[in-house]
Amino acid sequence: MRQTAGTLNRTWLAILGILILAAGAALLLQTTGILQKVFQTPAPGTKIVTGELHSFFAQQWLIIIFLIISVVVGVLALVWIIAQIPVKNLAETYRLHQEGAQGRTSCDPSVLASAVEHQIDSLPDVLTSTVILRGTVDEPDVTLRVTVNDQADIRALLRHVERTTLAELSTALEAPLHKRRVQIDVSARKQNTGTVRPSTGTVLQ
Amino acid sequence: MNPPGAHAQPLDTRKDGDAGGIDSRGQTVLADKVIEKIASQVASDESAAGGASGGFLGIGAHADLSVRPKASVDLSGNIATLSVEVGMLYPVPLRQATENLRQRIRARVTELTGVEVRHVDIKVCWLTNTDGESRGKRKLL
Repeated sequence: MRQTAGTLNRTWLAILGILILAAGAALLLQTTGILQKVFQTPAPGTKIVTGELHSFFAQQWLIIIFLIISVVVGVLALVWIIAQIPVKNLAETYRLHQEGAQGRTSCDPSVLASAVEHQIDSLPDVLTSTVILRGTVDEPDVTLRVTVNDQADIRALLRHVERTTLAELSTALEAPLHKRRVQIDVSARKQNTGTVRPSTGTVLQ
Repeated sequence: MNPPGAHAQPLDTRKDGDAGGIDSRGQTVLADKVIEKIASQVASDESAAGGASGGFLGIGAHADLSVRPKASVDLSGNIATLSVEVGMLYPVPLRQATENLRQRIRARVTELTGVEVRHVDIKVCWLTNTDGESRGKRKLL
């Protein structure tokens, strides 16, 4: 499955929400004077910084602290933005050797994906197909995206994909498919590949 | 007779007058390429594995089950480690098919050359749905 930043977004939004809520509550308590009674905070309207404000904020240590906080917040914000880019999360090379085998066996998931694509592309009314394999070799996830023309029998296609295409992929991997997703797109385009017909002519000597 | 093996038997430097001895008749050197070709031929003949043909400098090559798979050998004394890049028919149970292929290559290369094959690494480079005859045909649902 395509990996998005959903969990990260929810976590950060929750943290920001709690911080803003706490700040709002503190402000409300300060305004009503409750905070002053409990924590002996300055009364509303009292000046916290006495004297020149410019000279207070011109202090070296305060500038450094603000700078560090700004950099940290900036980096966190940048990381959050970068995390919004969806990741395909493709499977790594499948290791097919068994424990104790006298050698390694490897197969790139793209090899299996192109075999499945070729199989689907050979079906009638199918224009293109894309197959993505994710997960591990023992628990593979497969995502199929099939584009068909508007005359396709989609029910028959889905039945064929389920009973033949996915079953054969499971046979090849010798493992049941963990998750399977099939997306059918319908296009008005025509198939651009013709049907191969064997020659039936007579050879004249 | 020299026992079969990848490397030559040491030259007989004895000068005890045993000129007609078996050891003095010469040596047999088995090049790495011989083992590689035997391994790829075994893979091609005795399994459904194939190689790639066509293209230029490996670019544009296409799957061909009638072509020998590519094999390379790492020889250390009389012990060999083979690496084979194969293509197979789809769908075959890949673990089972490659394990059978591994056992077959090990047994046959050892039998034919006398070299002990310890490891056979197999990389499945492509899978083809057809044996080439029905390429491009559309199936009926």
